[in-house]
Order: sequence, then C-alpha cells, then structure tokens
Amino acid sequence: MKTRLRKILPFLLVCAAFAIAILIGTFYFNFISRQIYEDSTRYLGEIYGQVNRAFGTFVERNWGLLDGWGEYLSVTGNGGTDSEVAEYLEGKRRFWGFSDFYFLSGDGDALTVEGEEETLDLGEETWAALLEKREPVMAGEKRANGQEITVFAAPAEPGAYEGFAYEAIAVSYTNADMASSLNVDAFAGKAKCFVIRTDGSVLLSTQSGGSVFENYLVYLKAASDLSDAVLEKIQKDWLDGASGTVQCRIGDVDHCVLYQPVGYQDFYLLSSVPQSAASAGFLSVQQITTNVLIVIFLLVGAAVIALLAMRSYAQSRKSRTELQYRERMFDVLSNNVDDIFIMLDAADQQVDYISPNLERLLGIPLEEARRDIRVMEKCAVNYNVVIPKAELEAIPLNENRLWECEYMHQNTGERRWYRMTVYHMELQGVRKYVIVLSDRTQERQMNQKLQDALTAARSANEAKSNFLSNMSHDIRTPMNAIVGFSTLLEKDADQPEKVREYTRKITASSHHLLSLINDVLDMSKIESGKTSLNVDRFSLPELLEKLNIILMPQAAAKNQTLTVHVQGAPPEQMIGDKLRLNQILINLLSNAVKYTPEGGKIDFTVSELPQTAPQYVKLRFTVRDNGIGMSEEFQKKVFAPFSREINSVTNKIQGTGLGMAITKNLVDLMGGIIQVQSKPGEGSVFTVEMSFVLPEQEETDAWYRQKVTRMLVADDEQEICLDIEELMRGSGVRLTCVTDGAAAVEAAVQAHRRGEDYHVILLDWKMPGMDGVEAARKIREQLQTDVPILVLTSYDWTEIETEARAAGINAFLAKPFFVSSFWHTLKPLFLKTAEQKVDAPVEARVMEGRLFLVAEDNELNAEILTEMLDMEGARCELAVNGREAVERFTSSAPGHFDMILMDVQMPVMNGYEATRAIRASAHPEAKTVPIVAMTANTFAEDVRNALDAGMDGHLAKPIDMNAVREPVGRLLRRKDGEA
Amino acid sequence: MRKRWADLLLALLAALLLTAGCGAKGGSGVSLTVMGKSSDLNKSYMRSIFALYEKTTGNKLEIRAFEDSEYEQKAAEAFQSGNAPDLFMHFHNADLSRFDVAENFLYLNGEDWVDDLTDSAKAYCTDGDGNLLGLPFWESSVSGCYYNKTILDSLGMKPATTQAEFDVLCQVLAETGYTPICWPGNGCAWMPQFGLDPIFADDPEMLEKINRNEITYGEIPAVTDMVRWIGNAAKAGWFGPDYRSCGWSDIGHALSSGDAVMTFIWDTWFYTDFKADGEYTVEDFALMPVFMNTAAEGSFEGGNLNMMMVNRNGDKVDAALEFLAFCATPENYNAAFDGISTVSCFKGQNTNIQSKMVTDARASVSEKERVSTAASRIVGYSGDDVVAALDRLFSGETDVEGCVRLMDESRIAAASAQGADGFPGA
Repeated sequence: MKTRLRKILPFLLVCAAFAIAILIGTFYFNFISRQIYEDSTRYLGEIYGQVNRAFGTFVERNWGLLDGWGEYLSVTGNGGTDSEVAEYLEGKRRFWGFSDFYFLSGDGDALTVEGEEETLDLGEETWAALLEKREPVMAGEKRANGQEITVFAAPAEPGAYEGFAYEAIAVSYTNADMASSLNVDAFAGKAKCFVIRTDGSVLLSTQSGGSVFENYLVYLKAASDLSDAVLEKIQKDWLDGASGTVQCRIGDVDHCVLYQPVGYQDFYLLSSVPQSAASAGFLSVQQITTNVLIVIFLLVGAAVIALLAMRSYAQSRKSRTELQYRERMFDVLSNNVDDIFIMLDAADQQVDYISPNLERLLGIPLEEARRDIRVMEKCAVNYNVVIPKAELEAIPLNENRLWECEYMHQNTGERRWYRMTVYHMELQGVRKYVIVLSDRTQERQMNQKLQDALTAARSANEAKSNFLSNMSHDIRTPMNAIVGFSTLLEKDADQPEKVREYTRKITASSHHLLSLINDVLDMSKIESGKTSLNVDRFSLPELLEKLNIILMPQAAAKNQTLTVHVQGAPPEQMIGDKLRLNQILINLLSNAVKYTPEGGKIDFTVSELPQTAPQYVKLRFTVRDNGIGMSEEFQKKVFAPFSREINSVTNKIQGTGLGMAITKNLVDLMGGIIQVQSKPGEGSVFTVEMSFVLPEQEETDAWYRQKVTRMLVADDEQEICLDIEELMRGSGVRLTCVTDGAAAVEAAVQAHRRGEDYHVILLDWKMPGMDGVEAARKIREQLQTDVPILVLTSYDWTEIETEARAAGINAFLAKPFFVSSFWHTLKPLFLKTAEQKVDAPVEARVMEGRLFLVAEDNELNAEILTEMLDMEGARCELAVNGREAVERFTSSAPGHFDMILMDVQMPVMNGYEATRAIRASAHPEAKTVPIVAMTANTFAEDVRNALDAGMDGHLAKPIDMNAVREPVGRLLRRKDGEA
Repeated sequence: MRKRWADLLLALLAALLLTAGCGAKGGSGVSLTVMGKSSDLNKSYMRSIFALYEKTTGNKLEIRAFEDSEYEQKAAEAFQSGNAPDLFMHFHNADLSRFDVAENFLYLNGEDWVDDLTDSAKAYCTDGDGNLLGLPFWESSVSGCYYNKTILDSLGMKPATTQAEFDVLCQVLAETGYTPICWPGNGCAWMPQFGLDPIFADDPEMLEKINRNEITYGEIPAVTDMVRWIGNAAKAGWFGPDYRSCGWSDIGHALSSGDAVMTFIWDTWFYTDFKADGEYTVEDFALMPVFMNTAAEGSFEGGNLNMMMVNRNGDKVDAALEFLAFCATPENYNAAFDGISTVSCFKGQNTNIQSKMVTDARASVSEKERVSTAASRIVGYSGDDVVAALDRLFSGETDVEGCVRLMDESRIAAASAQGADGFPGA
C-alpha cells in the first residue's frame, strides 16, 4: 500500500498543483472580467454620453438656428422678397448641410423653399407641441420615395412665403447624414446607435446601410436573452427618463446595450456594442496579462513536466537498459539452446517476442515470423503451431496446455521434435500467450536409436538363428556325405573301385565344405568390417588371363562358350586389390557357368567408361549368360546372404548362397556398384563398375627400339582384328590384318618377296579353313625365317602345344589381346635369352627327401600332415607348440631342417612368437630357414601378419598338397640356391 | 380617361369580330395555321382560346404541333422551305434569332390591343429596337425575394429597400441566429439569373455586345460585383451552413421551418411546390426585390412569356391579326385564363388568380421589374454552367475573377457550339 502510494504521490501532487492553478486562474479571470465589464461599461457611458451631448448640441444648434432664421424671416418678411428669402435660406443650407427647409402651416402642410408642397407626417403630438405649445420639436419622417429623414421644427412668427401662410419653420436631414453625426468609430464600426422613442420605435440609426429596425425593443425581446423583468425595467427606465446599461446575448455574441435620454421630448439614445468591441482595449490588457500568466504557468508546468519527464526518462532508460540486458542475455541464452520462445498478444495473436534461434533451428527468417507467426505452418510436420484462436482462447488464464510437435528445417530438411507448452497469462493487464517450444529432438533420437538398436538386436538374433539354421543345414549336408561315405569306406575297404568312388565323393564333399567355410569366414570378415583391401599395382591382362585359365576348363566341361571381350582401350596397368577383383569376377563367372545349361553361352566383357579424373580409370565388367535366369522377386535379394532361388534346377546345383553376398560386399568395399538384370529362362547380366588408380606412365618406345614396325594379324573375327589395331595404335607398328590362315601365308610370302618381312606374325588358332598352327607351318616352310609367330587363342592350348611348337610357333597368347601381354610374351623371343616358358611344369616331387619341422598342436592335423608329407616322400618332426618348435630348431644342427611348417594358433607360444624367436635366435640358419605359416587364419591380414613375423609364406588349412607344392618348392629352391 | 376609351374601342372591336364571326358561320370561314410546341399548344388556356375562336368566328385553326425536342429544328425547316404557318408561337429568347425575325414576322406596335398589355409583358415581347414582336398570351409569375414577414415583424425589423439595407438585414439576421437567405446551391440554376437580369435588361446594347462576342462577363464590372457579393455572402454565413448541398426539394422545409428567412423564388412556387411542413405557411411570406449587388434598389424578374407572332409573308395576314385581336379581347382572354394562377399580361385581366404577396408589392414590382433576360436572351447562357462556376468559388477552388472566367468560358463554348455569329467556329 505504501509503495503504491509512493508511486502515485508525484502524480497526485502534479494534479493538485494543476487544480490550484486552475482555481486561481478562474478566480483571476472572473475578477478581471468583472473589472473589465465595469470599466468598459463606464467607458461606454462616457463615450455615448459624449455622443448624446453632441447629438443634444446638434439638436440645440438646429433649434437655435431655426429661432434665428425665424427672427430673420419675421424681420425680412415685412420688407424682403421671397427670392431674397430663398437665397438666404439656400446659403444657410449649403453652410449647415441640412437637406431641406420647410415652411409649416397651422394645418400641417409644408412648403419647401423651392415652393413645392409636401405633407410631413410628424404625428399629432408633435404638431400639437409645435403649434399649440410653441415648442421646438424633432421627428422622423419617411418620404414618398422611401427616404427616411429627421425633421427639426421650431415655432416662428406667422408669415407667408410664396403665398403660403406659415406658423413654424423646419429643416430636415436625411438619416444617413444624421447617422454620420452620431457614428462612433471607437468600436471598429461594430457599434449600433439609434435614436428611439420610449416605445422602442427607431427614429434613426447609425448603421451605414440604413436602418432595418422598426422597433429595437421588439428586437431585443425577440433576439436577445434578456428576461422579461429586465425588459420591463428598461421600459420603465425609459418612461422615467433614466439611463441604464444591460448586458445581453444576441445570437452567439455578448452585447452591451446602453441607453440615455437625449433630453428632448421622449427621445433616447440607445447604443448596442458587442462586448468584445467595447472591452477591446481592456481585453487586450487582459489578454496580455493572461498571456503572461499562461506563459509563466506553461513555463512552470513545462519545468515540472520536464523534471518529471527526465526522471521518468532516467527510470525508463534504466528499465530499458535492464530490459535490453535481459533481452540480450535471453537472446544469447536462446541462441545457445534449442528451445524456442514466443510471446503472442492474446487479442490479435500478433508476435510480441520471438527468440532469434528460430531461424537457426527451423530456417524461418525472424522478420517473417515476427510479421506473421503462421509462417511456422510451413515447417510443421504433424501439427499446426499456430493453434486456432478458439483453442488458445479455451486455455483459462494462468493455465497452460501441452502439444507435441514435429518440425522440419525449411532449408536443410532436418526434423526436430518439440514439446509445445502454451501459457495463458496476464502481463501488466494485457493478456498474452507465452509459447515455449522445448526441444525434444535428442531425446527423440535417443529413443529412436534405442528402438533401432532393439530392432537391430532382434534382427541380429533372428539372423543369428537363421545363420545357424542355414549353417547347420549347409554344413551337415557335406558332413553327412563325408561321414556316410567314410563308414562305407571302412565297410568296403577291400573293394578298390568302391574305395575310389567313396574317396572321390568324400573329397568332393570336403571341398564343398571347405568352400562353405571359406565363404562364411569371408562373409563374417566383411560384415564385421575387418576386411581390408590389399591395394597394389596389377596387370589387367594378367588378371584376365588367369580368369580365363581358371574358368575356361569349367565352361569347356559344360560345353559352354565363354568369350572374353575388351572394348575400347583400357589401360593394362592399374592400382587396386587384384585378389578381391579376381574373387568378384570368379564368383560372377563361376555362377554364370554354374547356372547356364550345357552348350550355353557366356560373354565376359571389359569396357572402359568415361572418367573425368585423369589419374583414374573406370571399368565396367559385364558377365552375360543365357542361363536359367532369376525371378524378379529373387533379384531383389540375390545379394543377401544365404539367398538361393529354390526351383527344380537350382536344387541340383551345389552352392552356399554366400557367393553373391560376398561379391556385393566386396564391390561395395572397393567403391563400386553391382547390378543385375535377369529374366527366368533367358539368362542374367551382372554388371560391375568400379574405378582404379592409374600408375605413372612408362616409356613405351620399346617397339621402336626392337625395330618392330610391321606385323601380320590373322583372325577370322574382324572385331578382334580391329581391337588389336586399336590397341596397337601409337606403338608405331603397322598392322596387316587378314581373316584366314591362307591369307596370312600369302601376306607373309608377298611381304617377304617385297623385302618387307613382317617382324611379328600373330595367328588365331581356330580359323575356318587353315588354322593358325597350319598357317605357321606353311610360313616357316616357305620363308625359312625366324620371324616370331605367336598363336592367339582363348582355348587351352596345352593339347596342341607340342604340335604347335613343332610347326614353328614360338609362343602362345591368351585372348583377349593386351599390348602388355603381347610385349611380355614377345620380348624374350627378341632377346633370345629368356627361357621358353609357356607354362612351367610343376615339380611333382619337390619335397622328396626333405625334412620338415612341423609345429602343430592338433594331433589329428599333425597326423594328416605327416601322412601327406610322407606321400610326397618327405619326413617331418613334430612340435606341439611354438616353444617346442623353437627349442627343436635352435638345438638342431645347421641343415637339419629344410623347412618349418608353423601353425599360428598354438598353446604356450603361438606361431608368430615362435617365428620371431627363431629369427632372433643364434642358429646359423635362423635367418634363412624357410618358415611357412600353416593356419586356418586365411585372411589377407593373416598373411601380412605372418610375413611381418618373419615367415616366408602362408598356407591355408586344410592343406591341399596341390596348392602346397609350388610355394614350398620355390622356397626350397631358394634355400638351396642360397646354400 | 384614356383607358376607358381604349376599353370601349376594344369592346366595339370584339362586337364587330363577333358579328363577323357569326357571319362567317355561314360558310366563308378562314383556316389559319398555328405552329407551336406540342406541350405549349396543349395548355388549357390555349385550347380554350382556340376553341372559343373557332366557335365564335367559324374560322378554323390548323394546329401544327411538334415535339418539344424537335421543335426548333422542324420550325426552322418550315420557314426555310416556304411552309411557314400563319401564326407562330415562340418565347422571346435567343433561339428566336434562328427565324430571321425582321424578314418573317410582322411588328405589332400599331395594334389596338397594345395599350392593354402590362408594361412588363410588353417589354418582354419588344426587341432592342422597340418593335413588338408578338402578342403575349401565357401564364407567368413574379420572381423576387420572398421573405418571412412574420419573423421580421417579430424581430422589430422591416424589409430592405436598398442593397445596403439588404446587407444590413442579412447581417442582423445572421447575428440573431437565422439563416438570412436560403440559397439552393445544388443545381438550382435560376438563382444567379436574378442578379444578371438587371445588368442586361437595363443595357440592351451590352446584351447585343455580349451576344456578338464583343464583350465578356469579365469586362462587365457588374457581373464581377454580383459574383463577389455572392461569394462574400456565402463566407459571411448568409446562406447558412449547408447551402452547397441544398437543392430544390430543400427550399420548402428551410422556409417553412423558419431556419431561413428569405429566398429568391417566384410566387407560383408557393402554390405548386411549397409544402408547409413547419411553423410557417404561405400566409407568412411577403415579397421584396432581389438584391444581388447589381441593382441598388433591387429588382424583380418578369415572367417568360410565350407570344404569338404573325407571318408577314403569309397570305392570311389580316386574318392572323384578327385572331390576335380576338385573343386580346378582355372577354376572351378573361374566359381563357379564368382560374389560372398567373401574373396578368393584360391590364384588363381579372379572372386569373394572383398571389397576395405579388398584389401587396404591386407598386414595387411595377417599378423594379426587369424582363427575364439572362436565361432567355444571352446566347450560350446556361444556368447550370453558372451554378457550376459558383460552386468552385464556394469550394475555394477559384476566386471571384476565376469564377467569372469560368462563366465566360462555358458560355462562349456553348455559343460556339450553337454556331452563333461572332463566336469561334461560327
């Protein structure tokens, strides 16, 4: 209460000061007005007293003159002539300014000096006073022409003029002339002055235009606010001959009406002056005084107001500053949080405040939102933030409502979730809606993640169950065969044919089981993200050649046509993971072979795609077959693990269902894409596109240095000829292409005759008519030349190799044609120093007589290995862990062991540690003894880890002696060489 | 004494005509053609006099009536094609100049009935050279300043006799709280012509000059004086607060309620349009001259009269003159105008109805009446154009001189459009 009082006290004091000032002012003005009225009335009385006296003087003068002229007439009338009288009176008229002079008879007739008779209607009383009482009189008269005149008459000695007997004489003035004598200029022409009779009738008026009043008392009664009592008093005054002043209002103007008896007969001088005109002089003083007071009052008031305003401004400024601080702090705060604050006016929903983070969070420009909050509708996903007015109004004062909203950022599309709380409150008497949009995005996302994780966990569990189910089935199937045939083997051990048959089937089931395990491990590795790429430089021709070697027999076994095409001129050298690429392509081609019926056709095409970056090459690998194809539904899940289409055909084909999943994952891993198009019964097309880094360019002027400038190519397929021509462009070698063997022979002979022998002859093996081998033979026969002749073939040439070499073929070249392969094949022929290596024979007994130290903790594996080595004619000593292997080696004599086959996962000391220990030992052969990992850890990093540990090679379990011979033989030869 | 002789002569003439007429019934009747506007010829008093003539004389009148809108054109074509009528009815206005008056019509100054015409009627039918062009046979009224006598009496005031008094009267009435003059500024085109009439009626030479485009309003000080007075009166509040929107239908209420004390109108208006829906009735009103600063003593406007003219080139001139004499016979015109509310055209007219207001002011009317001149005789004059110019003065869009200039522009444009001699494009 006290605080409130303190707040309004200054206001009350100011009001009180104003009230007192107004009271004083009112009192002052009333006092002044009264004084002014009294002074102006007195002033009017003095003015019109003078006017009255002037009028009286005028009347007296006229009567005096008439007396004088009457005497003259009485004197001259006895002896003077009328003309002399007329001349005399005309002189007086000119001098005194009256209008006319009259001779008046006793019966009221009048005669002018000019001798014209007139009738003057002066009234009976006037006539009686003049003629009977012999008194001078004054009267108003209206002439026949409407002109109003005032007549002054005086008795005279009876006489005659122009025969007219007169008893009195008179002069007349027009009222306009009379008025000019009464006019008062002191009131700016606003005063009216009348000579009236006591009944109010107007004798004359000072108004310049003439009098429009017949009776001014009637006018006052009708037009003024004078009461009957006042009017009666006025009339009484007039009858009593008293003077007086009244103030009245005529129309909307205050007038001062003043009346004084003229002093003759019952005439009164009445003046009516607007109060403003009468008091003009006083009013100007009053106005000045008032103005001074107003100025003082205003100055004081202004000073007080200024003082209050300054104080208020200071307070307001302080408040504003505080408000600005708070707003700034709030802005900073809101900019650093993801909650949005809005305040709306409850009356019209106009925005009073909106936190600046709106633009950051929802992408809505702040100014747009300030103009119309409904712009937020554009971001709303599931709820309209501008709640309908009815819903807002339904919120009771001092209560709130909650809504859950979802918004999308206008620019980024990012979704955010908010809990919107609307508070209905009253701030300084104004109702507001405060809307708080509390960010729940992280909470929502966390929930979503938890939900996703739960779903994933469920999926994983389900996948695990599926995986186990699949694995159980797929492992048990070959295992069943192995177990079953092993049992049969034992039973039929004495029947060699059956033993071989069972052994073959056990081997096949074992290989299938092995491939299944390899795929599962690959898949597991890929999916766990542990697969890494082994990126290195590789040769595309070599890769294709090996593919050809691997797959051609498979295709030939099913009497299928496998054709390899190279379109464009892809670079031969590139950088990438050759093994993974090989794996991808083998998977695709193996599947093509597998799912294409006998006699089918498989096309494998490598083509170069446009690539914007010069250091990269983008290749497309297309495997097209006319096999059984896939249903549209299966195409959708062909790359999913354990996916195999179930039909009468596929059921007969063995597979893990992991090959395409692995392929897809590898393609993804290498940054490529894989696509499939297929139709059941028509075949499938798998397309892989991926980029490889190009190595630094090498100098390619070898052809020139070897003086190879002419080459003969014979191939019945024109396209291949064109491909070779395209690929050799830029090498400086001029090609002659023919399409059959005979033409090749003819071309070679003709060139020889011209002395332009070809430097290289390249013949397709299978050509209609004369094949490549026959053609080579003919050329050698006819030309006796040592020109290198190569056979180009996509078939396995081993069966014709002997015959071909006998016919003069120097080397074989696998299709498709690659320049680098061609060169590498050709180069030894030019140098004549290279070994004739077409396909080096494998050393079948490379291990014979060798002693191996085998570190193997598994007895069964140790036994198998021992038996296998024995089959190869080798011996071994076993160590059951790494430590024992180290001890055996370090304690052995130099040259005792030819090689160490080291398991990796072993108790006590693993293979890596054992290898490091051996390499670190003081044994003379510590650094040179070949150590080969022999492990089920088959991934690339396992190989790398083995090499890093100091091993010389890596063999994957289960051991396949066919795969073991080559690396082991190489290492043994190296050891032998070093020794 | 002279008048009595004239009446006697007219009576004898009428008797002779009657005798002749009776004789004509025997079959030697004359057929006269009368051309006029359809609406004019259908006036009851016209039909009466035509019927009376035919009945009395046995002669025939062939009435050739044209629709109002095509009258001027058709009549002019008739005269041009030699198919002119014996008798032609037309107002004495600017349009009459199309008919080559001197060539086609007989001057009637010497006819016996001329002395029986009232001065104003005779003046209306007389051209600038004093030639009487036709017999006025029409209804008319007196236009002037009709004031509320009751209010003035109650205020102890009297009507003005001069412009100066009128100004004082207006000033005092305004001070007292009355609207002195009801000025219907909204489309009431007759108001300014009351002020213009004295200027041109009193100076026929000036009228001719302005109709030959030898002088403009702007060069006539009286016109500027009138416009200035109207403007000052409006500013002084003499027209009241709503004069610009006040129209024809508002005048009656303004006067009847006593809000306004005076207006410039004609007497028959009180009997045709004035509805006393307030305190005051027609009995409360009286007539004084119009004061618009163009005549110091004020003026009244005489009626616009339709007159019957005689085709001097016709073959029945004498019969036509006899017809006019028949119409100008007191018995006949009194029979025709019996009960018709109009100011008299003939001094012997006594069966028509005349308002008390006009009767009371008869002396002043006969002294100060001007022939209706502005609207009827000034070529290109349009009351609407003048009202439009005044409205722009009232609105402050133009000053007095500008207003006069606008009046001139619209008048000259209209005269040019009419092809009047001396105007651009003629």
